[in-house]
Amino acid sequence: MAKFIAKRLGLCVLIFFFATFMVYVLEYSLPTSYVEKTAMELSQRPGSLKSAQQWMDELNAQYGMDKGIVKGYFTWLSNSARGNFGDSWSQTMPVTDLFKKCIWYSFVMGLIAFVLEIFIAIPLGVTAARKQYSMTDYTVTVVSLVGISMPTFFVATVLKLIFSVRLGWFELVGMQGRNYATLDQWGRLGDLAMHLVLPITTLTIIGIGGLMRYTRTNMLEVLNADYIRTARAKGLPEKKVISHHAFRNTLIPLVTILGGSLPGLFSGALITETLFGIRGIGYYSYYAMVAGDIPFTMFYLAFISILTLLGNLISDILYAVVDPRVRIN
Amino acid sequence: MSVHTDKDGKDKVVAAPNGNASTVKNINDVLKEREKESKGKGEDKEMSLDSTERVKVLSPGQLVFKRFITNKLAILGSFILIAMFVFSFIAPFFYPYGQTEIFYKYDNSVIDYAQAVERNDFTAYYLVDENSVHYSVKNFLTASINSMKESGKDELDLQDNDGNSYTLRKNEDNIFTLFVTDREQVATFGGNVEYGTYSIIGGGSFAAADGIEIPEGLEAAIKDAVAAKSTEFSFKGDTYTLKQVKKSYTVSKASDGYSYIGKALGSDFEAKADAAGNGDRFEMGGVTYVVEVVKDTKNVYKLAGETEAALLTTYVFDSYDSSKPVKDDFKVAAVRAKVDGTDFSVNGTDYTLSEDEGETVVYEAGDSKTPVCVFSDFVIRRYSGEDSLDYDFKEKVREVIDEMTESNTKVSKFTWNIAQVDENGEYTYDENGELIKEEREVTLTKKNNAYVMTVLQVVHLIDTFAPPSREHIAGTDGDGMDVFARMMYGGRVSLVFSFIVVIIETILGIIMGGIAGYYGKWVDNLIMRMVDVFYCIPSMPILIILGAMFDAMKLKPYVRVAWLMAVLGFLGWAGVARMVRGQILSLREQECMVATEAVGLKTGRRIFRHLIPNVMPQLIVTATSGLGSVIITESTLSFLGLGVKHPLATWGTMINSVSTAEAMKLYTYIWVPVGLLICLTVIAFNFVGDGLRDAFDPKMKR
Repeated sequence: MAKFIAKRLGLCVLIFFFATFMVYVLEYSLPTSYVEKTAMELSQRPGSLKSAQQWMDELNAQYGMDKGIVKGYFTWLSNSARGNFGDSWSQTMPVTDLFKKCIWYSFVMGLIAFVLEIFIAIPLGVTAARKQYSMTDYTVTVVSLVGISMPTFFVATVLKLIFSVRLGWFELVGMQGRNYATLDQWGRLGDLAMHLVLPITTLTIIGIGGLMRYTRTNMLEVLNADYIRTARAKGLPEKKVISHHAFRNTLIPLVTILGGSLPGLFSGALITETLFGIRGIGYYSYYAMVAGDIPFTMFYLAFISILTLLGNLISDILYAVVDPRVRIN
Repeated sequence: MSVHTDKDGKDKVVAAPNGNASTVKNINDVLKEREKESKGKGEDKEMSLDSTERVKVLSPGQLVFKRFITNKLAILGSFILIAMFVFSFIAPFFYPYGQTEIFYKYDNSVIDYAQAVERNDFTAYYLVDENSVHYSVKNFLTASINSMKESGKDELDLQDNDGNSYTLRKNEDNIFTLFVTDREQVATFGGNVEYGTYSIIGGGSFAAADGIEIPEGLEAAIKDAVAAKSTEFSFKGDTYTLKQVKKSYTVSKASDGYSYIGKALGSDFEAKADAAGNGDRFEMGGVTYVVEVVKDTKNVYKLAGETEAALLTTYVFDSYDSSKPVKDDFKVAAVRAKVDGTDFSVNGTDYTLSEDEGETVVYEAGDSKTPVCVFSDFVIRRYSGEDSLDYDFKEKVREVIDEMTESNTKVSKFTWNIAQVDENGEYTYDENGELIKEEREVTLTKKNNAYVMTVLQVVHLIDTFAPPSREHIAGTDGDGMDVFARMMYGGRVSLVFSFIVVIIETILGIIMGGIAGYYGKWVDNLIMRMVDVFYCIPSMPILIILGAMFDAMKLKPYVRVAWLMAVLGFLGWAGVARMVRGQILSLREQECMVATEAVGLKTGRRIFRHLIPNVMPQLIVTATSGLGSVIITESTLSFLGLGVKHPLATWGTMINSVSTAEAMKLYTYIWVPVGLLICLTVIAFNFVGDGLRDAFDPKMKR
């Protein structure tokens, strides 16, 4: 097991180098005119403390843009390894400070949506598989396919129209109501929660379909297995067959995939956060990318790559933990 | 009996059901023969248990098709897709509107029609070269006239910065004439007279200026003064000044007499000139002289005469025939004639003036007495500044303004036949060439010293956000373009976009996956690590960065789309490659591949003719679902404004254009159908993909 994990880790480090190198190459090959123009524009915004030239110099020192591509990459890597990511151009504060400021909103949103998805999708998926070809099954299949097929922005817009514009229950965008300043601590928390309802609903609707489908597929596979037939043949009650024999085995792939998506909770929801104005990492990174804020964009891309790698690593390890056959190969 | 599939995909049976062991026949032929036989023998014959008539054999293709069409969702998806293709590729040919066609509408709207302003400013008509009048006089003509009016003078002398003099004369209240005074310099008084230059090089030497008589002993006095470093010295009661220029000194003395240009005029003249200040005049011997003082120099000029330089008037000329506005030379001649009280002629036509109810009217001379124009002190113009209003209208407006002034009201209304304009703001004419007019109510409002006339008129506007109607099935958008047409073209863009992207990623994936799966070992390892790397790179952020960069670089819409397709295809091959490689790894070990090796086929042929076709079913399934996800990516990008750009229509951009709170509420008929189209298309692709997967691989059917 230790050997397996060590091997996977080694591979991860290798992939990490190449993935971040590709990301670096992308930023490195942005046209200089574009970078200079962006620096010029952003430095003239109110609140900017440095001139465009200072930013360009810092960028070169930080990213080694004036050096060769490989040397530059290692300059950036060694700087980043020491936690030195520079200042965000669009927010005019250190990248790490901005990250600390916004990451928890993303995480809370992601976590709540994740839990909701699990509690809605898995029971529905199991039910659909148990009653294959029934009306329930068809409904679940169609709903999950519809969920997969809807673009986030459309779901968000429909929710906004119904709940914000027509019913007026929630506000359209933002994280604070207009009387936020007058509220006490609990009131503020409640206010924030009210603003998070629609984004979380959007995330849940978008995420639910895939998980439902996955649960159903795996549950069906298990239900067709010989040991389920054996369990039924020996006269176990159907309830026990499902909950003890079938569902527990379905959990194996589910735990793997859910464990693997844990790091993804930190990655933020780019589109949802932007559309609902939730100041999470997705929101800031979107505006950083649109404004051409290289330091924050670069940080975000590297961060996402690492999260994806971590997710793969976790799911590989979990897979090996729950299924001993994998460890041998 | 064994069934195998040959290259054509047809089933052949190697069978010996009734002892025909030596012949190899297609089972369909066998079945047909049997059928003939049984018909020949009669209907009542009972089928034996091992009869081949009981077995219906379908080819794999037919099997897949049969399984596919029994799947309701897949059939639904196929129909939706076919409908979508017809909708976006064929329907536009039969739909009358294009994707960038802008629609207009007529609407009644209150417009600022005309404006009447009382003239206080004088217009100058120059009779000489306009540039010969100095700007310091030219720019203050109205101010000068106002000062004349205040002080009640009829004549005012003006001087420009160059010392030229002018005279303004009043002809009547609204007409003034500017004269330029011609003058000739006769004498100068004062200033410095240069005596000479003293150089200190070589012990000092004095060079006298031309034509100056040096008093005796002056040179020695200069030498002393230079030695004493003084700038002034006295010599014989006169004061001389020294001015150092490098190593020499310029010696000069203030002039005390008159130097004449031309002949000297004597002491009498000098006495009068001494008494006169700047701008003063004096007369001597029938000649008027004028004195000008510049610093400490006094110049005396002889006045030779006057030239008429400009006519100034506040009058404007309202033509009776609005299509023939009067020209400048006519105006000058008319103003002159009014001043002189005579007739005049311009370009060979004679005109007369006559007073008529307090207005001066210009008639064409002769028996007919055709009125040409009238002198007016109200400027009445179209709001755009164009002088195209007819005389009667102007007359009426003047009347109303007079009434308003008397009763001291600010708003007044009257009805008038107003000429109608078309979509370009130009007048419309009927078949007889007459202006089309309609009776409208004109509202005259006083604003400061101007009167603004507003009229309810038919205007031609871009038809934005028109609700669905007979002409526009789904209404029009914010640019006045037909939403239904844009939906069709948007579908075309989305479908073509997703097909190209999927083709790019499938080709890349097949090549990379095929190579990895076939060669194995380190090649496989390398390519699979590349796949891992590509899995790690987030594609949406990269597309957003590129989109923002394309925005900044102002790329053309088509170039952008091409780039986006290439990037999306390049980022998406990893999944296909992984799938192809997995399939090939298992296929590689099968007997058919061993057979190809035994036959000695080339590697390329083995991969692309024998391995890849066997991966085709999975590839088709992946590609079908891939099409749906590319459509989502593309529409999301377009929604964010970073994908396909205006004027190209896409579904994402169409939703984005009405995504503000207000627009979202008001224009649901635009974005809801478009959003549903996106969802429907993607759902259909997923249904078909699912159906295909189940049909290809019944074992996987859940």
